[in-house]
Amino acid sequence: MPIDSGLLAIVGLLFLATLFGLVWKATTGRAKRIKGGVQIDLKEIGATKNGLPVTKFGEHTTFLQFSSETCSTCKQTAKIFEQLEKTSHGVLHIEVDVTHRLDLANKFGILQTPTTLVLDSKGIVKSRIGGAPKQSTIEEEIGHFVI
Amino acid sequence: MSKKEIDPRGPRFGAIITSILLLTDVYLAWDLKTFPLAVSLLSVITALFAIGAIFGNSKHPYGYLFKRLIRPLLQAPKELEDSRPPQFAQLIGLICAGIALAFGFLGEAYQLGLIIAVSATFFASFLNAAFNYCLGCQIWLGLARAGIIKA
Repeated sequence: MPIDSGLLAIVGLLFLATLFGLVWKATTGRAKRIKGGVQIDLKEIGATKNGLPVTKFGEHTTFLQFSSETCSTCKQTAKIFEQLEKTSHGVLHIEVDVTHRLDLANKFGILQTPTTLVLDSKGIVKSRIGGAPKQSTIEEEIGHFVI
Repeated sequence: MSKKEIDPRGPRFGAIITSILLLTDVYLAWDLKTFPLAVSLLSVITALFAIGAIFGNSKHPYGYLFKRLIRPLLQAPKELEDSRPPQFAQLIGLICAGIALAFGFLGEAYQLGLIIAVSATFFASFLNAAFNYCLGCQIWLGLARAGIIKA
């Protein structure tokens, strides 16, 4: 029986897509340490919370989340951080929509949303999380700052 | 694109059907004897993407199928989702499938072009269905920053 090359092609395609999906799932939402990170200017990024401008960083950690209108996982990510804000002391979550602030996306080199910058108490960028953060990643990040 | 709240499982259900159709299309395009059939199927897939991209997922035939057949079997969704991200994904699907269809209309000589473009569309659709991969999260910003799409 001759091998059906078309069948082989679609099985190969399915295999490749699955492989890509597994690798993506495993690598997304991890934190990358940033050495010599910049200090965030709250005014420049136009950070607001409940309609009011944010003027102070979290006492220990600030999660600065960049979102966009076409991003479905951003909302879920924001929910996780908001929950965390309530349960952990000194944690602040700020969400900035870059849909109409491409200047910020360019400045911070953001290619995907959500991208979260983890800031210390002075607002200096300590690490960066691309994609929806894993629960374990968030816990580790807090562990770095909360004493 | 106007904002609406939808059941997030709807677009994923649609992506499963789309993935199966796209994979079938690659199979049909592989053999020149069934190539015309692949082009016909691709016309249908492209038209479906167009409905999703222009009118949104809730007006899409798969959206109706989901509401009538699948949704009654499921519990209420834990949370609703913005309708804009899946609509953006439909637009990307429309562009990729449209390119593939153009190759199809050019004829058998462009078989490889059609197969590559359909495969790329399948990739995105399958990742969405199986891994909840969201095109709006991954590529929207890149395209906007490059000036290809407007915010």
